[in-house]
Amino acid sequence: MRRRDFGAVAATLGMSGLLPARWAQAQTRAESLRVLSEAGPNSFDPIGIGVNRNAIQLHWNAYDRLLRFGTQTRPDGTLYFDYYTIEGELAERFEVSDDKTAITLHLRRDATFHDGSPVTAEDVKWSLDRVLGIASGRAQFSTGSMTSPDQFVVVDAHTVRVTTPRPDRFTLPNLAGTYPVIFNAKVAKAHATAADPWATEWLKTNVAGGGAFKLDNYVPGQSLTLSRFDNWKSGALPGFRRVLWQMVPNAQSRRSSLERGDADIVQDLPPQDAVSIAQAGKVKVVGVPMAGAFQFIGMNSAKPPFDNVKVRQAVAYALPYQQMFEAALFKRGQPLFGGKPGEADGTAFPQPLGYSTDLEKAKALLVEAGFANGFDTTFSFELSLATVAEPVSLLVQEALGKIGIRVTIDKVPGGQLGTRLEKKEVPFFFEGSAAYFADPDYFFRIFYHGPTRWNFGSYNNPEFQALVDKTRYETDKAVYDADVSRMIALVKQDIPIILLWQPALDTGMQASVEGYKYLFHRQLELRTLKRG
Amino acid sequence: MAFLLRRLAGVVPTLFGVVVAAFVLTRLLPGDPAVFFANSVTADAATIAAVRQKLGLDLPLWQQFLVYAGQLLRGDLGQSVGTGQPVATDLLRLLPASAELTLVAFALAILVAVPLGVAAALRPGSVIDHACRLLSTAGVSLPTFVSGLLLIYIFYYQLGTAPEPIGRIDPFAIPPPGITGFLLIDTLLAGDTEGFAAAARQIVLPAVTMALFALAPLARMTRASMLGVLGSEFIRTARANGLRRRKIIVSYALRNALLPIVTTLGMVFSNMLGANVLVERVFAWPGIGSYALDSLISLDYAPVQGFMLLMATIFVLVNLVIDLLYAVIDPRTGLFHA
Repeated sequence: MRRRDFGAVAATLGMSGLLPARWAQAQTRAESLRVLSEAGPNSFDPIGIGVNRNAIQLHWNAYDRLLRFGTQTRPDGTLYFDYYTIEGELAERFEVSDDKTAITLHLRRDATFHDGSPVTAEDVKWSLDRVLGIASGRAQFSTGSMTSPDQFVVVDAHTVRVTTPRPDRFTLPNLAGTYPVIFNAKVAKAHATAADPWATEWLKTNVAGGGAFKLDNYVPGQSLTLSRFDNWKSGALPGFRRVLWQMVPNAQSRRSSLERGDADIVQDLPPQDAVSIAQAGKVKVVGVPMAGAFQFIGMNSAKPPFDNVKVRQAVAYALPYQQMFEAALFKRGQPLFGGKPGEADGTAFPQPLGYSTDLEKAKALLVEAGFANGFDTTFSFELSLATVAEPVSLLVQEALGKIGIRVTIDKVPGGQLGTRLEKKEVPFFFEGSAAYFADPDYFFRIFYHGPTRWNFGSYNNPEFQALVDKTRYETDKAVYDADVSRMIALVKQDIPIILLWQPALDTGMQASVEGYKYLFHRQLELRTLKRG
Repeated sequence: MAFLLRRLAGVVPTLFGVVVAAFVLTRLLPGDPAVFFANSVTADAATIAAVRQKLGLDLPLWQQFLVYAGQLLRGDLGQSVGTGQPVATDLLRLLPASAELTLVAFALAILVAVPLGVAAALRPGSVIDHACRLLSTAGVSLPTFVSGLLLIYIFYYQLGTAPEPIGRIDPFAIPPPGITGFLLIDTLLAGDTEGFAAAARQIVLPAVTMALFALAPLARMTRASMLGVLGSEFIRTARANGLRRRKIIVSYALRNALLPIVTTLGMVFSNMLGANVLVERVFAWPGIGSYALDSLISLDYAPVQGFMLLMATIFVLVNLVIDLLYAVIDPRTGLFHA
């Protein structure tokens, strides 16, 4: 029996006792959504140890934040978040003071949590303080100049003020990010203990919020059932009343379920599946280039031979970009190769770094660097990225062989590459990452600066480092743009990491599902989805 | 009885060894969990240090072991970061799923493999012998994820006769009250025949996939063992004395051929329970194999240790049962008299 017909048959046979009570209440197919993803959340709390990406999909939809990013529409009709527009969510409006050091947020007076209690400034204060109370939250909030609970002031029951020591472009985006969800503080505090003042243990497995969806049921590693919170005030009511989200580890099984019509949405399609499903045409595939996300080839510029800029440039000229883009990514993404060499092309970043395949130039650069006979090196990638990294590594090996660089491929089991990158002991590798905020200086601060593993190329150019610090609080747009242009020129010339592309986020869905919105965290926005 | 007690007493040092081995092996894994779990791009050295302290990994190894051993004595297997649940809860939830699948597949495999092996041994070189060889070769050479995907493609995608190959039960159905954790039993206990049928339909494809994998060693071993016994002198004597064919085959030949078959059964069963990760993946079956693999990949020590401990216990128990079966099948082992 097809699942689709099950409700009808069950009703006619009078065996409604077989169906979960909630589903049986004449739930029509139109109002329920079935989502399949590879993995599920490992926590309902946005902040904590090892919280995975799938956790965002739950807390994003089950909690509200004070602010959210605006929406723009792509040419193909897909909704896309707009980083540079920030609007109120739980705050119906907000004002930024003239000196740009205070943000006053006015809460919606009618907003309630799932348990019916009103959302107050005290809840907001507790939730923001909590971010600072947990190590990874504190690290994130400090990127928006929020470091002390004193900066969150309760003005009255429905007004909160956030102050910063100086104007900071990242304060508002941080408040609209994934961390500062607003908890029902009374409920959460009831589960706090002396050893665990922020109720992290309890909130890991329980939801105390007021988001557009309520969590009805959770079976770890298998499924989540969500239902719409009908008293939600922070936006238009979502189109689906029920959402069943299941975890199906095998990509092939997810795909056949989608094509058979049993699943409504299948997340994270591998590139080759996205291409062939789209060709088959039974269901639609929405592919959106992931803002801020990128895949790249890193070189440890702190150690020989990659400490020599000519060696790095030689590698960048030797890579077969187009072939890699086609064979590994099936063109599902936005290239970051080619483009304008040596200088900035606009101030957006990541942007194409200006390198195209040119073996003669590569050979010449290698000779100039003093490696006329080439050298031996090891190219590492993590097995979890193998679908893309494996073909990339083979093409890298072949291409570099042509200029005398002998490459050994090292496939690193999941979870271990991070440790080795942290110790800065990997010479040459494939990786991917993403920045949530679109400002170029934010990107540079994380991926081209500092001692963390996120400075994948161990880049350490004094001029560049000075500019990273200088742009941090820059408020003059013209000065900022000039500095960013200089930084872009530097990373193009010094090329500590070779950006390859921004992969697309491919999501498969039934033709009847509408309102898909791409968000910076790449998880589903359930609020805008509906059945057409 | 004394034998049983002696055997059970022997289990204690084995399990202690497993506890130590599980602890040491996870610590030997390359990869630093604190770095892995401090996975946000804004995480700096201070964040990593905080995570390390929270996980208790900043202590010297011997202290970590004492903490772990202390937890074990209290029956606490630790917390899984990957699922956010206590490991014991996870294992209790997942083990019945794996066990149910394994037992059904195991039963299927025995029902097919033993008669097939016996038949093949009775008529070497016949059609049935070739069929036995073909089936066991195919079973060995087809990786389980290939046969699994093939079955899904034919019976779900093309024909639509099999239910959606996701999980143990229709996602829209209510699971029966969990008494044993075995859906096939719990649905019957709850008198829910419809639920039983649904769970049974759901288990067919994964069980067949696993049975295919287990079939080969069983059928081959049955055939070889039967051939050996059938050629021996006491069978010739029995034949010469004109005993009935059925009596010769079942009472004399098969009974004597059973010892190596039971040994193989034990090994196959333990193997199936722990090594059916691929089947669990393909059918989104919420079992312990998948769970252990996920934990291993994400450097999640506690579940890996818990899994190793659980599997070791099961291995020990299965071996115990096999030893007891030996004594029943072959009194010469003398276990009950020693």
